[in-house]
Amino acid sequence: MLRITVQKALKGGFLSPKHVSPMLSKGTGDVQKKPQQIEVFVDDKPVMVDPGTTVLQAAAMVGVEIPRFCYHERLAVAGNCRMCLVEVERSPKPVAACAMPVMKGWRIKTNSEMTKKAREGVMEFLLVNHPLDCPICDQGGECDLQDQSMAFGSDRSRFTDIEYSGKRAVEDKDIGPLIKTIMTRCIHCTRCIRFASEVAGIDDLGTTGRGSDMQVGTYVEKFFLSELSGNVIDLCPVGALTSKPYSFAARPWEIRRTDSIDVLDAIGSNIVVCTRTGEVLRILPRVNELVNEEWLSDKARFAYDGLKRQRLITPMLRNGFGELEPVDWECALVSVGKKILKAGKNVGAIAGGMAEAEALVALKDLINKIGSEKVCTEHAYPTTGSGTDIRSSYLLNNKIARIEEADLVLLIGTNTRLEAPLLNSRIRKGYVHNETQIFVIGPKVDLRYDYTHLGTDPGVIKDIEYGKHQFTTVLKRAKKPVIIVGPDALSRPDGAGILLHIQSLAKIIQACVTEPDWWVLNILHKVAGQVAALDIGYTPGTKSIVQDDSLKVLYLLGADENIPCRKDLPKDCFVIYQGHHGDKGACMADAVLPGAAYTEKQATYVNTEGRAQQTTVAVTPPGFCREDWKIIRALSDIIGKTLPYDNLDQIRCRLEEIAPHLTRYGDAENGNFYDVSLDIGKQSNVEIETDPLCVTQNCLEDFYMTDVISRASSTMAKCVSAVRQQKSSQY
Amino acid sequence: MTNVLVRFNHLAKSHIGILAPFSYFNIQHYSTTPPGTPPPQTKTKFGGLSDEDRVFTNLYGRYDWRLKGALKRGDWYKAKEIILKGPDWIINEIKVSGLRGRGGAGFPSGMKYSFMLKPSDGRPKYLVINADEGEPGTCKDREIMRHDPHKLVEGCLLVGSAMGAQAAYIYIRGEFYNEASNMQIAIAEAYQAGLLGKNACGSGYDFDVFMHRGAGAYICGEETALIESLEGKQGKPRLKPPFPADVGVFGCPTTVTNVETVAVAPTILRRGGAWFASFGRTRNSGTKLFSISGHVCTPCTVEEEMSIPLKELIERHAGGVTGGWDNLLGVIPGGSSTPVIPKSVCETAIMDFDGLVACQTSLGTAAVIVMNKQTDIIKAIARLIMFYKHESCGQCTPCREGINWMNKIMYRFVEGKARLDEIDMIWELSKQIEGHTICALGDGAAWPVQGLIRHFRSEIECRIKEF
Amino acid sequence: MASLILRSRISTSRILKTCSANISTTLSNFADINKAACLKDAKQIRKEVALMKREDIIQKQEHDNATITIEKPSEISTVSGIPEEHIKTRRVKIYMPTKNAMQSGTDNTHHWEMEFETRERWENPLMGWTSSGDPLSNMNVQFTSKDDAIAFCEKNGWPWFVQEPYKCKPMKPKSYADNFSWSKRTRVSTK
Repeated sequence: MLRITVQKALKGGFLSPKHVSPMLSKGTGDVQKKPQQIEVFVDDKPVMVDPGTTVLQAAAMVGVEIPRFCYHERLAVAGNCRMCLVEVERSPKPVAACAMPVMKGWRIKTNSEMTKKAREGVMEFLLVNHPLDCPICDQGGECDLQDQSMAFGSDRSRFTDIEYSGKRAVEDKDIGPLIKTIMTRCIHCTRCIRFASEVAGIDDLGTTGRGSDMQVGTYVEKFFLSELSGNVIDLCPVGALTSKPYSFAARPWEIRRTDSIDVLDAIGSNIVVCTRTGEVLRILPRVNELVNEEWLSDKARFAYDGLKRQRLITPMLRNGFGELEPVDWECALVSVGKKILKAGKNVGAIAGGMAEAEALVALKDLINKIGSEKVCTEHAYPTTGSGTDIRSSYLLNNKIARIEEADLVLLIGTNTRLEAPLLNSRIRKGYVHNETQIFVIGPKVDLRYDYTHLGTDPGVIKDIEYGKHQFTTVLKRAKKPVIIVGPDALSRPDGAGILLHIQSLAKIIQACVTEPDWWVLNILHKVAGQVAALDIGYTPGTKSIVQDDSLKVLYLLGADENIPCRKDLPKDCFVIYQGHHGDKGACMADAVLPGAAYTEKQATYVNTEGRAQQTTVAVTPPGFCREDWKIIRALSDIIGKTLPYDNLDQIRCRLEEIAPHLTRYGDAENGNFYDVSLDIGKQSNVEIETDPLCVTQNCLEDFYMTDVISRASSTMAKCVSAVRQQKSSQY
Repeated sequence: MTNVLVRFNHLAKSHIGILAPFSYFNIQHYSTTPPGTPPPQTKTKFGGLSDEDRVFTNLYGRYDWRLKGALKRGDWYKAKEIILKGPDWIINEIKVSGLRGRGGAGFPSGMKYSFMLKPSDGRPKYLVINADEGEPGTCKDREIMRHDPHKLVEGCLLVGSAMGAQAAYIYIRGEFYNEASNMQIAIAEAYQAGLLGKNACGSGYDFDVFMHRGAGAYICGEETALIESLEGKQGKPRLKPPFPADVGVFGCPTTVTNVETVAVAPTILRRGGAWFASFGRTRNSGTKLFSISGHVCTPCTVEEEMSIPLKELIERHAGGVTGGWDNLLGVIPGGSSTPVIPKSVCETAIMDFDGLVACQTSLGTAAVIVMNKQTDIIKAIARLIMFYKHESCGQCTPCREGINWMNKIMYRFVEGKARLDEIDMIWELSKQIEGHTICALGDGAAWPVQGLIRHFRSEIECRIKEF
Repeated sequence: MASLILRSRISTSRILKTCSANISTTLSNFADINKAACLKDAKQIRKEVALMKREDIIQKQEHDNATITIEKPSEISTVSGIPEEHIKTRRVKIYMPTKNAMQSGTDNTHHWEMEFETRERWENPLMGWTSSGDPLSNMNVQFTSKDDAIAFCEKNGWPWFVQEPYKCKPMKPKSYADNFSWSKRTRVSTK
C-alpha cells in the first residue's frame, strides 16, 4: 500500500523527488542557516551550544558525563535504555538526555533528586533480569553495567521475587567463531544492531519478540559475518557479546595495555595490545579520529594468535641434507656474512609488507654499502614515469578522515571492504550521512553499500578522462570528489599506464574542485610497509631481482608473498630470510634469521595516507628473535661495513636524514608536486591493456588470511571455514 | 485501545514545543484565546441525550451501513461546500466545538489540527486514523467502523482537507476483520461515487484514503508505534520530539487521531461547533460514545452527553449494576489503563475529562468497566497487568523489565504470597515506571496498580495476612 | 620581650615604648588581653647575630638566602641510586592513558603517565604469576601535565618520548529525527 502511495504521489507530480528530499528536522536545518548558538545551563553552568544539540552533548561540553547504555556517539540515537534520564527544570518528568535537543534557556539538572531516582529506578530494572554471574563473566572489570550500578544504582536489592521465581534466561546464539554470546546478560541496548546496520552495513542483527521476551539475535540461525564484526564486542556494555578467542583468558586488571599500531593492512589502525606474561591476549582498538575512529577490523583484532604459531625462534642454516638446522646467532651471522662478502656486489634484497622503516633503512644502507642498488619491495607499483619519486603519486592524499566528507567516490580496481575495512567504513559513513555517490570501475564486489558500476574494463578510465563517458560530467559537477585506486590495479603490467591516466583524470577533476586542500587522487595500499619503503627509496616489485642472473645472495626481509621461486633464481644464489614466521620465504631460504613481529618492537610504520606512527614493545621477542634492524646492524659489523647507528635514537636520526616526516609521529605529510608527477609520467608510454581489472580479495573468505601472521592464526582459519559454512547454509 | 496510550498529563500538548519552545509547560487555556472559543456552558445538568442530537445514528446497525443508507442519514451532505469553506473555517469550527481527542488523552483537536497548518516545506502531509482499538473494555470505534463507516470516511476527507493532507491512512486493528471489510467497502463506494480520489466531492481537492490492517499488537495504538508499524517496521514507539506533526509517517508531517474524533467532525461542521459545545461542561463539551461492560445488566455502547454522572450512565443505559447499585465494588471508568475507583467515588463521579481527573483517574476512552462485589479485584488488576506485560514492546527498560516484575508481584498478591512491605514496593515500582518510559504504555500499566493500592490496599493486606 | 629587644639595639627605645603602650592598654581592654595571650614567642636569636651590626646582619641574611642558578635542570641520576644500566638503556614513554574501548566511561584518562619500555616477562612456574627481572617494570608515575612528566624524566636521566593524544573532533549535533526521515540513508531499517 505504501508503494502505491509513493508511486502515485510521484506520478501525479504532486511532489517530485526533489521536494521530498529536504527533510531535515527543524533543528539541523537551523544549523545550516543560522549558526547562532543558544545558551543552556547544565547544573547551573552556562554553556553555548549549537541548536539541535542534545542534552547529553551539552552536558559533555561542560564535562558532565551522563550515564548511558544505549547511546554511543558513533551510532544513531536509540533512546531506549532510559539510563540517561535527567531533570529539566519545569518539566514534570525527566527527559532522555541522549535524544532530547536542548531549547534555549533550559536548566538541566544532572544531579538532582529526580534525576538520581530515575537512574536508580532504571538501574534496578536493568538488574532485575541480568544474571549475577560477574565472577564468570568476561566483561567483569570493564563492564558498563558494573560501573554504573556502582555509581548510580541503589546500594541494596529488593528483588524479592528471586525467592519465588528465577530470572529470565535466553538461549545463546551461535553467531560465528569470533563472538561469543551469552544472551541472558543482554540488556537490549541495541548497540550491536545499530552497529551492524549502520557501520558494517549488514542488517543481520535485530530483535525478535516483545516485552520481556524480546531477544537480540540474528532473525534466522546464521553467523554474523562481517569484516568489522569484532567491534560489537567493544560496543556491548555488558558481557552478552564477548570475544571467543579471549574467553576466560584474563581479567582486565591483570593485563598490561600497550598502545601500538596495527600492521596487517595499510590503514595503520591504532590499537592497544593487551598482554600478560609475555603473551598477547587480545588486541583492542584505540580511538584515533584521523585513522580508525573507534573501530578495528577483525583481522587486526583477532589474528594475534598467529603471533604464537609458526614462529622462527632460532637462527637456522641449511645443512648438507637440505634441512634447516638451528644454530646460534654467531654461527648464523658469520656464515651469512661470508656469503655476502663472497657475493661482492651481486646482492639483492626484497622487503616484505610488514617491514618497518628502521629495518628498511638499515637493510638499504647495508646493501648500498656493499655496492648494490637492488633493494625492492615484494609488492609491485608503477616505476616508470613519476612512479615512486613523488609522494603524491603513491599516497592516499586526501587523508582517511576526509574521505567521509566526499560527495562522490570513484573506486578503481579495489575492494576497499577487504583491502582496507576501515577506509570502507569511512566511505559507508559518507554514504549514510552525506549521501555520497559511489562509482566503481573494476570487479563487482560486495562493498556493503550501493554503488554504480561503470565496468571492469580499465579503458573506461580513458573514456572518462577524454570526456567520452557520461560519467565525466557527473564527476566534474561533484564538489568533493575522490578517486581511490586500489593496489591490484596498479600492480598490473600496465599499471603505469593506468596510473598515468588516472593522474591526468584527477588533474582535470582537481581543476573543478573549489574546496581548499582537497585532493582527488588517492592511492590505496595493501600492506603496512609499502609507503615507508617507497619513501626510503626501495624499488617496488621484484622484477629487477628475477631478471638478474648474476645474483649471488638474496636477502628477504620478511618477504613471503610475491617472491621469486627458487627456479627463477640462479642456482648458486644464497637466500637469506629474516622474519618472524616460517612461511614461504623461510622455506626456500638457506639461512634464517629470526626477527621480531610488530608487537615486539618499537618500529615506525607509514600508513597509506603517509602518516608515520610507531608501534611499541608489548612483549619481548620469543626465543632468540631480535629486532630486525639490530640483526642487520650486527651483520654489517661482521662483514666489516659497520652501519653508523647503535641505538633506536641514532637510527631514527638516520631516518630523519632520509625523510624527516618518518619520525614525525602522528602527523601525515601532505603529498605535493601533483602536476610535476603527471608531466614526468607523460614521458613514459605504457598503454592501458584491455584485460578487465581484478582484485585478489573478492569475497569475505579472502579477507582473513593474507599475510604470515593471519595465515598462522587458527582464529582466522576458523573464520574462513565459517564463511564457507555460511555459504552452504540456506540463509 | 486506540490512544489511551497518549499521556493525559499535559505532555500531549508538547506539540506546541515544536512551535514555541517549552510553552507546553505553561498550560495555555485555549478558551482564553478569542477566535475559536466555545460558547460558555449554561446548563448544569447533563445526560439524557435526545435522539436528534445523536451523531452516530446507526450505532447499532439497524439500518443500511453502506453509502445509500449513509446518504439517507445525512452523511456526505454538502461535503463539497464544507471543503470549499477552507481549512481556517473548518479548524475554527472544530475549535469552537471544544472537541477533545476521543482516544484517551483528550488533547484539543482543533489545536492539534492547526499544528499542521505550518507552511509546507515540500513534504506531503498525512492524516493517520488510529483505529487500533485494543484497550480492554473499549468497543466504540469498531461500532463506528462496522455500522457507520461513511462517517469516518467523510471525516477523513474533511479533516484531511483542513490540514492539507494528501492522504489518510486508516490503521485498523488486525483482529477487526468485519470492520476492516466494511471500511474497505465504504472507501470503495466513496471512490466510485467520486467522493474520494482526484477531485474529491467535486471540490477540486485530491484526497486518498487507504486502509492498513495491523498485526495484533496493542502497542501499535500508540501514535508513533502506529507510524512505525505503518511504515512496515516493528511497532515500537519513537521518542518525542520529533512529534508526528514534524516527522511522522514516511518522515512527513502527520496527525494521528482517533476514529471517533474524526467521525464526529462532519456532523460538527454541518451543525456548527456551537451545537456540539452545548453538550457537557465547559472544556469537556460534546457527545461521547461510552462502552459499558462488566457486571451490568445490559452491557452496551451508547452515545451520551459528556459530563453525565457515572451512576446515571450505568443505570440509564446499562440497566444498572448486577445485584443493584449497593453491590458495586468499583469501576474502571476509561478503559483498562485508568485507575479503578471504588463505589464511594462512583457515587459522585462525573464522566468527563476534568471530572475523572478530580477522582484521580481518567476518562480515557470512556470504556466503563463495572465490577460488583463478586469480583476478586486483585486478580482483576493482576490480569490487566499481565495484559500489559504481554503487550509491552520491550524497547525501553522500565516498561520491559518493570511490568514483568509487577506482574510477578501482582500474581503473588492474588494468592497473598507476599510480605506487607511489598505493597509499598510495588507502589514505588509503578512510580519508577510511570513517566520514565518512551511511550505511555508504561504509565498505563502503572496506573491500575496505583489505583488498586490507593483504594483497595486493605484487601491486599487481608489476603497477605490470610496466607 | 627580651628577644625582641635583642633583635636590634638601635631601636630598643622605640620597642620599649610600644611595649609600655601595650601594657597600658592590656590592663584596660579585655580584647587586647586575649590578643596578647595569643602572641607567639619571638624567634630565638643566636648570640653572635645578636651582637652584630645592622649592616652585617643584612649582609649575612643576603648571603644565607642567596640562590645559585644552575643552567641545566638538576640531574639526580648520579645520586638516585638507580643502577646505570637502568638509566642509560631505558626509554620512557610519556602518554595519556587512552579510553578503554570496552567501556564508555572516561575516568582515569585525563592525566599523563610515564612507562618504561617492556622487558622480558615470564610466567612464574610456581604460582603462574608474572615474573620480571626488570625493577622498573611497574613504575607508572602519574602527572598532571606533560611538562611535569618530561621534567621528571630529565631529572632522572631517562631518555623519553612523548606519545601525543589524539585530537578530539568537533562535536556534531546528533538528531534522533534522522532515524525516521524518509529520504535519508540514516533511516533505521532494523531494530
